[in-house]
Amino acid sequence: MTIEKVAVIGSGVMGAAIAAHVANAGVPVTLLDIVPDGANDRDTLAKGAIAKMLKTKPAPFMHKRNARLITPGNLEDNLDAVGDCDWICEAIIENPKIKQDLYGRLEKVRKKGSIVSSNTSTIPLGVLLDGMPASFAADFAITHFFNPPRYMRLFEVVGGPATKPEALDALRQFGDVKLGKEVVDCKDTPGFIANRIGIYWSTVATGLAYDMGLTVEEADSIVGRPMGIPKTGIFGLADLTGIDLGPHVVGSMLKLLPDSDPLCLQYDADHGLTKLMQKMIADGYTGRKGKGGFYRRNKTNGKSVKEALDLQTGEYRPEQKANLKSAKAAKAGLRTLVEFDDKGGQYAWGVASRVLAYSAALLGEIADDIAAIDTAMKTGYAWKWGPFEQIDMLGTDWFAERLAADGIDVPPVIAKAAGRPLYKEEDGKRYMLGLDGEYQEIVVAEDAWMLADKKLGQEPIARNGSASIWDVGDGVACLEFHSKMNAIDDQTIAMVKQAANLHKKGFKALIIGSDADNFSVGANVGLVLFAANTAMWPVIENGIQEGQNAMMALKYAPFPVVAAPAGMALGGGCEVCLHADVIQAHAESYMGLVEVGVGVIPGFGGCKELVMRNVTNKKRPGGAMPAIAQAFEAISTAKVATSAAEARDMMILRDGDGITMNRRRLLADAKAKALQLAENYEAPEPIEINLPGATAQAALHMAVDGFVASGKATAYDAVVGGQVANVLTGGDTDITEPVTEKQLLKLEKEGFLSLIKNPKTLDRIEHMLTTGRPLRN
Amino acid sequence: MKNVVISGYARSPFTFAGKGALTKVRPDEMASQVVKALVQKTGVNPEDIEDVIMGCAFPEGEQGLNVARIVGFLAGIPQGSAATTVNRFCGSSMQGIHMAAGAVQMNAGDAFICAGIEAMTRVPMGGFNPAPHPGLFKDYPEAYVSMGVTAENLAKKYDLSRAEQEEMAVESHKRAASAQSAGKFNDEIVAIVDGNLRVEEDGCIRPDTNAEGLAGLKPAFDQAGSVTAGTSSPLTDGASAVLVCSEEYADANNLPKLARIKSIAVAGCAPEIMGIGPVPATEKALKRAGVSLDDIEIIELNEAFAAQALAVMRESKMDYAKTNIDGGAIALGHPMGATGARITGKLASLLKREGKGLGLATQCIGGGQGIATVLEAC
Repeated sequence: MTIEKVAVIGSGVMGAAIAAHVANAGVPVTLLDIVPDGANDRDTLAKGAIAKMLKTKPAPFMHKRNARLITPGNLEDNLDAVGDCDWICEAIIENPKIKQDLYGRLEKVRKKGSIVSSNTSTIPLGVLLDGMPASFAADFAITHFFNPPRYMRLFEVVGGPATKPEALDALRQFGDVKLGKEVVDCKDTPGFIANRIGIYWSTVATGLAYDMGLTVEEADSIVGRPMGIPKTGIFGLADLTGIDLGPHVVGSMLKLLPDSDPLCLQYDADHGLTKLMQKMIADGYTGRKGKGGFYRRNKTNGKSVKEALDLQTGEYRPEQKANLKSAKAAKAGLRTLVEFDDKGGQYAWGVASRVLAYSAALLGEIADDIAAIDTAMKTGYAWKWGPFEQIDMLGTDWFAERLAADGIDVPPVIAKAAGRPLYKEEDGKRYMLGLDGEYQEIVVAEDAWMLADKKLGQEPIARNGSASIWDVGDGVACLEFHSKMNAIDDQTIAMVKQAANLHKKGFKALIIGSDADNFSVGANVGLVLFAANTAMWPVIENGIQEGQNAMMALKYAPFPVVAAPAGMALGGGCEVCLHADVIQAHAESYMGLVEVGVGVIPGFGGCKELVMRNVTNKKRPGGAMPAIAQAFEAISTAKVATSAAEARDMMILRDGDGITMNRRRLLADAKAKALQLAENYEAPEPIEINLPGATAQAALHMAVDGFVASGKATAYDAVVGGQVANVLTGGDTDITEPVTEKQLLKLEKEGFLSLIKNPKTLDRIEHMLTTGRPLRN
Repeated sequence: MKNVVISGYARSPFTFAGKGALTKVRPDEMASQVVKALVQKTGVNPEDIEDVIMGCAFPEGEQGLNVARIVGFLAGIPQGSAATTVNRFCGSSMQGIHMAAGAVQMNAGDAFICAGIEAMTRVPMGGFNPAPHPGLFKDYPEAYVSMGVTAENLAKKYDLSRAEQEEMAVESHKRAASAQSAGKFNDEIVAIVDGNLRVEEDGCIRPDTNAEGLAGLKPAFDQAGSVTAGTSSPLTDGASAVLVCSEEYADANNLPKLARIKSIAVAGCAPEIMGIGPVPATEKALKRAGVSLDDIEIIELNEAFAAQALAVMRESKMDYAKTNIDGGAIALGHPMGATGARITGKLASLLKREGKGLGLATQCIGGGQGIATVLEAC
């Protein structure tokens, strides 16, 4: 079965955002909630939730128009609407009784074979099904999203003994391909995988910090980046998720877990921190959504001061930057951190020993393999390394010895490892250790892989400091960028040129992509600044020329080129994509030509491609100006699409370009597209466009002058914008004269070179390099 | 020479461009409903209509081609009547009235529909393909100066404080709101119907406009300036129409007579202070009418901007108490091509309603011009 229509019941934070993400997948969804007492509009809860999400940042919707795919309604008048839904996802209050009442009502209206699932975060399926008819149990599962559902990649799926396998398959398939999630099968135990470990971790890490007398800043400086945790740290995370959430989830887990569980043993209702948090909640200090949390911004005398809570006194005080040597030493690795002899190191070991031992001991109980648990923690809690990967970083033998020395039981899988790593690579394959002490191959699907999977046991075809070329099978090569932030430099460009000639080595197609968080943040402006400061103009000119040559070589290569951006594809990174035959973008791609932020214009053909895409777009109203104005707005304001769907609006993506929801499928989709194009491939014909020249420049100047006067743009924005205008309008041309790509590239180069000599541009570059933010000069 | 009269006046509701109730209505459709209603209301025999003259400031897209002819077809004006579209930016439909008056006096027709249209939602200000003369733009950028900047220039030149401008904006809304609630627009507004949509009320008037609210707005055109969105007329969708005919035709056919056209004038001024255009135009029109401003009992002065209207009133010594008594464009909106017919038709109706003798309608025009019409009671 396939899921083509969805209903979400419950329009709270999770339910509404799940509905939004289903809409992001292009699937129509009905969102129902109760009718509040005295409501004028009986659909007010669902409608209000949609309206609120349209303003929420980060945006639950990948495109505002996706909101129209959600039909709001209420459970009294519109329950029949679930009748034609293939999947009904329940996301209401965490109360088994209320949930079961709803299931009873759903049972009367849902169509035969439709799937019902609960988004419960802790309640086991067995509890929810208690007393429900067999017909319901066969179609019932747990599907657990993480907040926020658009961005958190974990999707826990739990089936019961009665759940039909095809229902679980349909959920897995939908979660993976349509919703782009990492689907992890969990066993039916409280908190499933991620919350089971996560709640214990958070209880241990906060409680231990309190007991050891660490400040919240100190704790967050350890249980933060050094331990592979997002930089918010453990207390910062509590502020973010809401401190009031803690007692609910911990309370629920305590009720469901046996008394012998380490969480129950660890938890102390009379603990000083527990008391403090109870008081905070009672006083409205529930975190960022409340008056403050462990941190707050205190505005006094018009000044905003960041403050932190003193855990011992319960009073706020100005933030004190943590200064633990162990946090710095952690750069050398997790083992160095936990072995470091200061309170940071001791704290790190205190947390790691308990949490990693807990996780390892749960293997078999919450999931059958270590990869499932690692994936869940990495994609559900944004840990950089899963618990078993961390144990490998420490060494299984070392870890076992230290646990034993601390009187902590050595978990069975660690004992079985007997010093062997939990993961190993051999002959181009990856293996993981099972509870039986045997290695089991981690099988990679042909349609869902990361570049790392293809690299196993392989040497690159070519490699330099910034980029490599790999054989990804079936005659397709992959060009991978791997400089810092994948910034583009002369070595990247050299590798692009080499990649454009791969047909000579027998390849029939090229994809461009990597496993990195960002496709490329753009050209390495540090190098440009250095060259400019030393007046090496010919070097800069040559750099632009080489970049243009490389892009044109990609575009006119005699075989298909598919760019596969994910994350940021900015400036030069965006220009690489614009010169591919096809872009297969990850849904979470943030693309844009942002060069004006550093005082230059796109010089590798970005202006050319964007104006050509707009001018040749038949859907646009007549005349050259609307097309030019659209490209001008995008480039002169350094506009970045906040999703692939928005990049399509900006014409960075064209009709034939595709969007992949699941990051793990991106390169496979790009490769499939490349192979499809390779059949009877012919390189594109060069195109020429007619541009209006000076009159359009005058029109754009008029608009920019207005922005400068009203304070929306600076005087130097107008100078940079003038160069953008010059390129986009064709320079010194007339509407009757066709303009070639070569002419536009020449204008780009001239514009870039004139700006790079301006001290204000250099100020912008320097500011960007030192602060990471654009200078408005 | 023949006397020329305004026989009837009608307009659509005026609503905000981009967010108002008329955003989805095509301008040609909107104008045709107004014209049709005017024909019905006055009882003029459509066969007698010499010409449909349509004012439009950006006659392209849905209000392009010869939109007057399209509106004629849509409104059921017989094929034998002609149609022309005229552009004098904001003065376009007052210009249409002037052309009709001239034609009547030339014995070139007895009855004219003089209408105006601007759907600022659907055709942007500046048009879809702005293509200024690059040489002129370089040597004389004033030719293309933005309207907001001209208002700032007048505010500086006449030392008009922001508070003064805001006071006027508040008053304009107050007058318009009170006229609206007293039903004083009912006989001029034609409900626009499009499918299930029915729009019958003005949408730009904000009765709760107050000085505190306006004071909180950011300058819209010059960050160091004093002109805000609140003291500017809003971008507006709307259409208007008047029936202009010879007095003898009106009498012979028992048509209503609202007012007689006594004199007309246009004049140029410096484009960077285009808002002052009503001053020279008024001066000429009054002289041609052989009257002085003191004789004028009611004035309709288009409020493109509060600063602009204040500058004109100060320079021409107009009394605000008898100007825009039912509110002006800051409150009602300013669909450019439609404004001239609105204020001329409005003035004619007001002379009748208030029982006054002489009135003046005048407005400024982008590029540096003014246009004025003196009417007298019939």
